[in-house]
Amino acid sequence: MTMTATDVARVAGESPLRGGARSRAVDAAWFASPFVLMALLWVVIVPAAGVSSRVFPSLPAVAQTFGAMLLDGSLWTHVSASLLRVLIGAAIAIAIGIPFGILMGVSKAVSAFFAPLLRFSVALAGIAWIPLATLWFGYGDLAVIFVVFNAVFFAIVYNTMLGVRQVPTNVLRAARSLGAKPWTMFWQVHLPGAAPSIATGLRVGMGFAWRGLIAAEIIATSAGMGYSLFLARQYYETDVIILMMILIGILWLVMDRLILAPVEWRTVKRWGASREVGI
Amino acid sequence: MSAVAQLEERASVRPVRPRDAIVRYSGIRTWGPFLVVLVLWALISAAGIFPSAFFSSPAEVWERALSLVERGILPAYVGDSLIRLAVGAAWGLVIGILLGFVIGLSARARKFCWPALLFFQAIGDIAWLPILIVWFGFSLTSVTIVIVYTVCFPLIISIVAAIDAIPANMLRAAGSLGASRLQRIVLVVVPAALPGLSSGIRTGLGYGWRALIAAEIIIGTSGVGFMMFDARRQGDVTQVFVGMIVLGALWYATDALLLAPFEKATVERWGMVEGIGR
Amino acid sequence: MNVLEIEHLTQSYVDAYTGDRTLAIGDVSFTVPQGQFVSLLGPSGCGKTTVLNIVAGFVESTGGRVLVEGAPVAGPGPDRGVVFQDFALFPWLTVRQNIVFGLRMQGAGKEERERRAEEMLALVGLDGFGSKYPHELSGGMRQRTGVARVLATNPTMMLMDEPFASIDAQTRRVLQQEVLQIWDSQRPTVLFVTHDVDEAIFMADRVIVLSARPSTVQADIAVPFERPRTWREIQADPRFAELRTELMTMLGVEDL
Repeated sequence: MTMTATDVARVAGESPLRGGARSRAVDAAWFASPFVLMALLWVVIVPAAGVSSRVFPSLPAVAQTFGAMLLDGSLWTHVSASLLRVLIGAAIAIAIGIPFGILMGVSKAVSAFFAPLLRFSVALAGIAWIPLATLWFGYGDLAVIFVVFNAVFFAIVYNTMLGVRQVPTNVLRAARSLGAKPWTMFWQVHLPGAAPSIATGLRVGMGFAWRGLIAAEIIATSAGMGYSLFLARQYYETDVIILMMILIGILWLVMDRLILAPVEWRTVKRWGASREVGI
Repeated sequence: MSAVAQLEERASVRPVRPRDAIVRYSGIRTWGPFLVVLVLWALISAAGIFPSAFFSSPAEVWERALSLVERGILPAYVGDSLIRLAVGAAWGLVIGILLGFVIGLSARARKFCWPALLFFQAIGDIAWLPILIVWFGFSLTSVTIVIVYTVCFPLIISIVAAIDAIPANMLRAAGSLGASRLQRIVLVVVPAALPGLSSGIRTGLGYGWRALIAAEIIIGTSGVGFMMFDARRQGDVTQVFVGMIVLGALWYATDALLLAPFEKATVERWGMVEGIGR
Repeated sequence: MNVLEIEHLTQSYVDAYTGDRTLAIGDVSFTVPQGQFVSLLGPSGCGKTTVLNIVAGFVESTGGRVLVEGAPVAGPGPDRGVVFQDFALFPWLTVRQNIVFGLRMQGAGKEERERRAEEMLALVGLDGFGSKYPHELSGGMRQRTGVARVLATNPTMMLMDEPFASIDAQTRRVLQQEVLQIWDSQRPTVLFVTHDVDEAIFMADRVIVLSARPSTVQADIAVPFERPRTWREIQADPRFAELRTELMTMLGVEDL
């Protein structure tokens, strides 16, 4: 057992009973402080400096636009279009990518062959495929879904493959000597063994996909958050632009922090794998 | 040397690096697969499985690449893209590294910045493009800001993570050997954060390339991204293929010429990472 | 003269989740005279490493006093060098650079550092390995580098935190004898934390036994053997077996 400086600080600074609740309140205050500061600056400086709404909207204007778009249903149209594309693209990528990745990871020859190709593909997945996607599938949902699929797919395959290769040899030997058949090996050893790495791949891939989605929607569709963002630019509707940016940020945070990160964290922790968690 | 030392020297095992590090950019194991893909590509296009409007043959792509080089279009566009990326990445590196170390080292700075940082990272680079165009027009400034933005965040986050991961005993050792706080930062924290720094640069540049392509497509004046999208508008699939291959080659070159040698000379030599591969 | 004086040391901490206060160190007092090699022995989790961390200045105690050469401990300092279980060498520095790190902090000139590095390399049996990086060495060689790094600055005290725990059993025996020889050349005062009874006896002039937490000093036993010591001699000595049994009983691990 080793005591750390923070333990000591805790002992020195706070009474054990009140410590928890108080530090939670302090943490919440710290968390809110930058946002409160930004909102204050926004409310005070934008009107005071006489910034034109064609350059930067006022906070009330953004709130008003939010209300209006919520009421006339256009907000829901755009957000749901975007989310649907992400979900479909990611789902296809997961369904194909994980088995594919495991198959590659199991065979050393196959993984040696695909590893360079994949590393190459991961680096360019997503946005770089937009021209080709729109050429193959035309402008519309299909092209965007392809871009999302593509971004998630390569990241998942590559990370799954790495994950399978990282399963310790002794675990494989132990399973085999206990009589595990290939099918059992897949479900009981390779899949759970690679799970933390798959989760990391999913998170990385979704990061690429989310950016790819916005870019693809700007370029290739007539609905979705990226589209409305870019349409608003033509008419200098900065309130819509800022609103959409905030929404894009919040939606990604919700997706990343509430779904992807916990999944990753849980697999890493549950399987007791001590590996660095990628961003 | 004592007998024991000799014994131990014989017994000491150099860390086994994953195949990734050994075969990186070298020999048939890296380039072989690409050759196979090239052959498959040629066979598929020769068999006419896909209509030629959607799928060009390697020969067509090669000829087009040559003619684009001869006419000076490809070199000029590649140059434009590289300069944009370099300018953006340079600023991004300076800002990202500075902020990364400040946030990593100061508990207060971190408490204040972290939530906002995660939020702005979440907005994502491309989403900034429309408002930047409103502010700065279709200019290099807009592109640069998007790339700076893209490069910064992965860098900050991985530097902070690397600083957090420094073993407490290493800092204690430095302290008990008489290092001041500044000396601990310069002589321990900075080198110990290098693996994080290099993986952050790698991720950041990866995002940066993507953002650049999107920006060039949307802003559309020059560059590899513009070339690809321009070709797409004219239904010229061959030129789109050329663009993708150029992008891939440029990424490989960035990695092989800049990042990999840096990592080989530092963190891999020190045994702090077991070969890096993405 | 006493180099280390520990008076009524206590340490408690609050569990981050439950908010409960735990007393890790109940009441520990002892003194160590100049040049003595003291083993601090105790069951795992008894807080012996915490005692060492407090002496090193890494952790602040919640009660009592710790004096080194009469002055209260305030943070880590070059007068107390620490040898860690996990070596804590700097992976980006060569063995030579690791060894002279402390001298560099004191602002010693390049020539002096070079000379001292060669001396220390010879002393710990690592000549020819100065330009290697730590990851290229075996565990035993890494720990000899760790010892050399501490002794290079001639500290008053050397604090050793289970320094041989991550080293394989054969190498450990050899290393224990070697470290004693190295220690003999400078004779700094040593506080040596271990949970290995044999090691505690073999290394030290005196073994202090801590009880399970909240820990107190349970026994303070002088080790009668002459130096220099070798395992062959010590193991053959009947007093070793007696001491060993006595300590084992105290720790509650009697052989059946």
